[in-house]
Amino acid sequence: MSYALIVGEVRRGVFEERNLDSFGLCSLLGKEAVIVIPDGPYSFNERLADTIVKVKTGEEMFLNPLNLVNIIEQVINGRGKPDCIVFTHSSSGMESAPYVAGTFGLPVVTDVSAINKDEGVFYKSYYSDKIFGEFKCTGEGPWVLTVRSGSFKDAAAEKADRPKTEHIESIAVSDKRVFVEYVEEEKTEIDITKAEFLLSVGRGVGNKDEIPTYEELAGMLKATLSGSRPVIDKMWLPKPRQVGTSGKTVKPKVYLAMGISGAFQHIAGMKDSDCIIAVNKDAGAPIFQYAHFGIIADMHKVRDKLKDMLKS
Amino acid sequence: MNIVTFTKRVPVTQEEELRITGDGEAVDLSKLPYKVNDWDNYAVEEAVRIVEKTGGSVTAVAVGDAESDEVLRRAIAMGAKDGFLVEMAQAVQDPFARAALIANFIKNEKVPFDVIFTGVQSEDDQFGSVGGILAALLKLPYSSMVIGIDKVEPDHMVIRRELEGGLQERVRISLPCVLSIQSGINEPRYVSIMGIRKASKVERKVFQGNAYEEGAGAMIEAVKWVYPPRKEGAMMLSGELEDVCKNLVGILKEKGVYQ
Amino acid sequence: MLEQTVSRVLTCIQCGKCTGSCPESGKTPFNIRMLVRKQQFQSSIDEGIPWYCTSCGACTLRCPRDVKPSEVIIDIRSLLVEDGQIPLAIQKALENTFTQKNPWGRSRAKRAAWTENLDFKIPHVSETTEKRLLFVCCIQAYDPRCMVIPANVARILNQGGVEFGILGEEEACCGNEIRRIGEAGLVEELQEENKGNLEEYGVKEIVALSPHCMNALKKEYGDMGIKVSHYTEAVWDLINSGALAISKPFEKKVIYHDPCFLGKQNGIFDAPRNILGAIPGLMPLEFSRARETSLCCEGGGGRMFFEVETTYQRNAEVRVLEAVAKGADMITTACPFCVMTLEDPATEKGQAVRELSEILMEVL
Repeated sequence: MSYALIVGEVRRGVFEERNLDSFGLCSLLGKEAVIVIPDGPYSFNERLADTIVKVKTGEEMFLNPLNLVNIIEQVINGRGKPDCIVFTHSSSGMESAPYVAGTFGLPVVTDVSAINKDEGVFYKSYYSDKIFGEFKCTGEGPWVLTVRSGSFKDAAAEKADRPKTEHIESIAVSDKRVFVEYVEEEKTEIDITKAEFLLSVGRGVGNKDEIPTYEELAGMLKATLSGSRPVIDKMWLPKPRQVGTSGKTVKPKVYLAMGISGAFQHIAGMKDSDCIIAVNKDAGAPIFQYAHFGIIADMHKVRDKLKDMLKS
Repeated sequence: MNIVTFTKRVPVTQEEELRITGDGEAVDLSKLPYKVNDWDNYAVEEAVRIVEKTGGSVTAVAVGDAESDEVLRRAIAMGAKDGFLVEMAQAVQDPFARAALIANFIKNEKVPFDVIFTGVQSEDDQFGSVGGILAALLKLPYSSMVIGIDKVEPDHMVIRRELEGGLQERVRISLPCVLSIQSGINEPRYVSIMGIRKASKVERKVFQGNAYEEGAGAMIEAVKWVYPPRKEGAMMLSGELEDVCKNLVGILKEKGVYQ
Repeated sequence: MLEQTVSRVLTCIQCGKCTGSCPESGKTPFNIRMLVRKQQFQSSIDEGIPWYCTSCGACTLRCPRDVKPSEVIIDIRSLLVEDGQIPLAIQKALENTFTQKNPWGRSRAKRAAWTENLDFKIPHVSETTEKRLLFVCCIQAYDPRCMVIPANVARILNQGGVEFGILGEEEACCGNEIRRIGEAGLVEELQEENKGNLEEYGVKEIVALSPHCMNALKKEYGDMGIKVSHYTEAVWDLINSGALAISKPFEKKVIYHDPCFLGKQNGIFDAPRNILGAIPGLMPLEFSRARETSLCCEGGGGRMFFEVETTYQRNAEVRVLEAVAKGADMITTACPFCVMTLEDPATEKGQAVRELSEILMEVL
């Protein structure tokens, strides 16, 4: 059976959930799943793989594209060319996949979000998801692909048998690009543009005394609190938390807007959020035109009910 | 320090409704305004800042049609010394073909460089691949998602690259190398219209792209263009407040922001 | 430009009338007299300071030595613009205006979207006989709050039997705020494009919806041989001549706010008041600072596009508090920037803000 070589993404001892999409794609393509990872105590559902290739090297050396090409070369020398080499579409995947493709002269398509196996095409987004292109390989494979997180993980299926394990004992380590250290985020001033989940309050919050209750709610939801201009103008929230054309432009996974009517200058600052949920007691509030989900209710009532539910 | 930085002219598609012509034949870009690719703008700004400190020069290179001269003039207005246009009548879709063309151009024309900058990706095709492929073809060390360049020495740089969740990694990379620059690395200067006009006085050398096509054939091809599945307005969550809130928390869990 | 500033500032006698009239002085670090002084000595200026100016023009109108402090501000800003060191939000506004011909970067193709819900078609100005152009304005073409204004005025002019056309997506930003931000090169591009269209289509008259656009087209586009007026002037003419009949009463206390670009800078104080006066039952009120001394709403001079660093009580809020104290049912005005800046504090204090055309729609 033809095989797909999955380059596993691991970071600080964690086997990233994104790797499930790589397994899912393999299943959809009907290929044997051979995953290569550093030899370490990574916990994941090993039944998803047909073969696990463990490389005797540190994580940071594994994730270095200059070393990865040597690892992949060894795998290929051992078992022949795969049909495709699959990476996660992540910081490391986006860096390594093209470098690997360039090294071996292979076609590459990134951010693959769907496939049509019968037609042999991969779907790739253009113009920020406004258009999708159906791509075919016209050159000689193997394909190099990065897969969009969340696109294929449901297709990941356990194999009937337990996986085989292989080992790579040593790899060529380059001195031309070397990991130095990790750098943690500085928590001096809040940067709402980096938050994955924003809870944003607008004029509907009513007065300064209500803000701490929303801070509490944000804490319970593990969200970052932000606000629209009127709230900042009144100094109920500091300036770095302002979303809008004269504040910050944000693109979080979830933007929960409470008591925000959706003035155009605010919308411009958050309309590209993955998921916009709007809570407003005015059914005609313009924000509902931009939201994915809407709740017509008093924001304070929603806050209180949520806090009750989350406490228990 | 000589920095070669690539810059691309891209259509403005935010706010625009895009049309697919024929039966998925092509995307109609004819009525769209154009601008410089955001990531490349950051890269040019970073390159100019570095040579302002270390001395040397920045050469901006654009691969595209004659109109791409706009982005070269802009780079010059920001402080690049030179602008090279590698003129191609048709856009090269396959990032591998593009990178191979560029590699040939650099080798054949013996373009001097200590570092090559690209943007992480371009706003139109978002492949994010040219930098990595180019580095491999030129047999140079590579790093992408560069969010900070902390140390510049004649033979190496110490950079920070962006990982997920606000984490960064510090990497030491030898020169010469290729770096793909992430947006937000700096705050680019504004380029005024008069500044761009002044930049027009600097010669932008034009090279014919088809002279560098050897071995740079496409290996992938878009056979059809399609619209994404339509999304209908906001889905209203209705019912008793209790149910609505349960529903809401369910959505948060599904999106992976709340466990 | 630099030579003009030099000669201009040298005539300043530091009397302080400019700072005395400035809507920013006292509450913000902005001090126009001091800035002129610094220009006299060519001393350095904090980069953030020049951006406070709202371009209200009060300083220039009151200066006894014709120093034109507003122009001094523009000169200072021009140097910052050419240097590239300007606030990011202003950069975006300028770049958007360059690509999409409006500071908000909305799609040029959608500039006439406001006409979609009208029950009559507005012709392109080239298709009209009288070649009268309704110049819509960027914020009124795109902002959901303001899009109702051109629709209203279109209906009103239609009712009054006035023939007019629009440029639709060919209309480009008038450049009034762009010039005050200091991007002279971009102003040239915008003027070239607009003038080219005006010439090509043989436009003979322009009715502008925004006092800012009217100001630019009337005074900064050179002598185009085109009559430029604000829509309130055109509408008052219609009411006065009987072409437009007011059929319903409006039993409300309405306080009128003079926009700087309509009032103090272009002397149009009476047309809007006459319109209000012609509405039966309407009780007009006046602010203590009205007409020439009207308090600037702080929407001009680029202030619509970015936030200054200091937080202080905005003039808009001062206006609203006065309106409430005087017992007004609503504040009315004839400029979209005033509408936007007044509405935020007004909504909070339970005060309504209506653009003049919105009142007219209820009484015609």
